[in-house]
Amino acid sequence: MNDIESRIVTIVTELLERSDREDKTVSLGATLHGEDGLGLDSLETAELSAILEDEFGTDPFGAGLLPETVTDIVAFYADATAASA
Amino acid sequence: MTNPESSSPPPLRSSAGQLPGAPESAAPRTVIITGGSRGLGEGIVQHFLDAGDRVATCARSETDAVRAWQSDPAYADRFLFRKADMADRDQCTGFFKDVVAEWKSVDVLVNNAGVARDGILALFSDEDSDTVIDLNLKATIHLTKQVVRNMLAHGGGRIVNISSITGLTGYRGLSVYGATKAALDGFTRGLAREVGSRKITVNSIASGYLKTEMSHGLDDGQLNQIIRRTPAGRLGDPEDIARAVSFLVDPANDWITGQVLVIDGGLTA
Repeated sequence: MNDIESRIVTIVTELLERSDREDKTVSLGATLHGEDGLGLDSLETAELSAILEDEFGTDPFGAGLLPETVTDIVAFYADATAASA
Repeated sequence: MTNPESSSPPPLRSSAGQLPGAPESAAPRTVIITGGSRGLGEGIVQHFLDAGDRVATCARSETDAVRAWQSDPAYADRFLFRKADMADRDQCTGFFKDVVAEWKSVDVLVNNAGVARDGILALFSDEDSDTVIDLNLKATIHLTKQVVRNMLAHGGGRIVNISSITGLTGYRGLSVYGATKAALDGFTRGLAREVGSRKITVNSIASGYLKTEMSHGLDDGQLNQIIRRTPAGRLGDPEDIARAVSFLVDPANDWITGQVLVIDGGLTA
C-alpha cells in the first residue's frame, strides 16, 4: 500500500475500534456500508467524513460524493493529487 | 427592543480578575462563544477567561471589552477575536477555521449570538424577519455543523445554545424572535439525540429578562411588572447565565443533554 492508502485504512480501522468493532478487517476493497461490508451507519459515516477532513483538509463526502468502498476514498485523494500536480 | 445579547452590561471583571464562583479548570479548554463582544456574550467570555480556558469569540464590531482582553497579558495566548458577521456563511466559516488553525480542536461551543427586532407581526418587515432568522437560527446551525464535525473527529465536546423564555411563553412583539428561540430548543433536542453516543452533549439555556436587555427595550412600567412577577425579585445579570453555561459544560456533567434549562428567577415557574 502507498502512503495515502495506508493512512486511510488506518483511519477506518481506528474508527471501527472506537465502536468496539475491531473484528472487522479493513481492506482497500472493503465496502463501507451494509452487513457484508464494514457496516458503517450514518453517524459513523459523518465521523469518517470529519476525520478525513481533519487529516487531509478535504473529504469526499463533503465534496458531494458518496464513496462506497475504501478504494473510492483513496481514489478521491489520488484524483485531487493528480489534479493539483 | 434591542438585541438581548448585544446590550452593554455592567462591568463583570473584578479588580482581581476572578469572578466569584468561577470554576477551576483542570486543563484549559478551547471555548467558542459567538457574539461575545458585549452584553450577555461578554459576560460568558469573561467567565471562561477567568476559569483559565482558551476563548475565541466573534462579533460584527470590536468593543472596549474586546480591546481590553486583547491587550491584557493574562490572556495573551488564550483569547482570539475575529470581526465577523455570523449570518454571512463565508465569514462564519472563516472564523471557525481561524480557531481550528490556532487551537486545532474545539471543546465547548456556546451559541450566543442573536438579534431581536420587535414589532407586531402584521406590521413586521420581511427584512427584519430575515435578519432575525438568518442570525439566530441559520448561522447557529451553520457554525454548529462545523463544530460538531470537529468534535466528532476529536472525541467529544459540549454545546450550549442560548435560548430565551420568549421561545417558551411567547411575548407580544417578539413572535419571530421567539420562533427562532423555540427552533433552537428543537435543534438542541434533535442534535443531542444524534451525537449523544459520541460524548457530545447539547443543551439550551432559556434566559429570562436580563438587566442588559431591559434597559433598552422596555419602559419602567413593563420592567417593574416583570420584577413584581419574578419570584427572585430582580432581573438577571449576565453572570447568572454564565454560571449556568459553566455548569452544563462541566466535563463531569455528561449525563445532561437535550435539555432546556430555564434561568429566569422563577418568572415562568
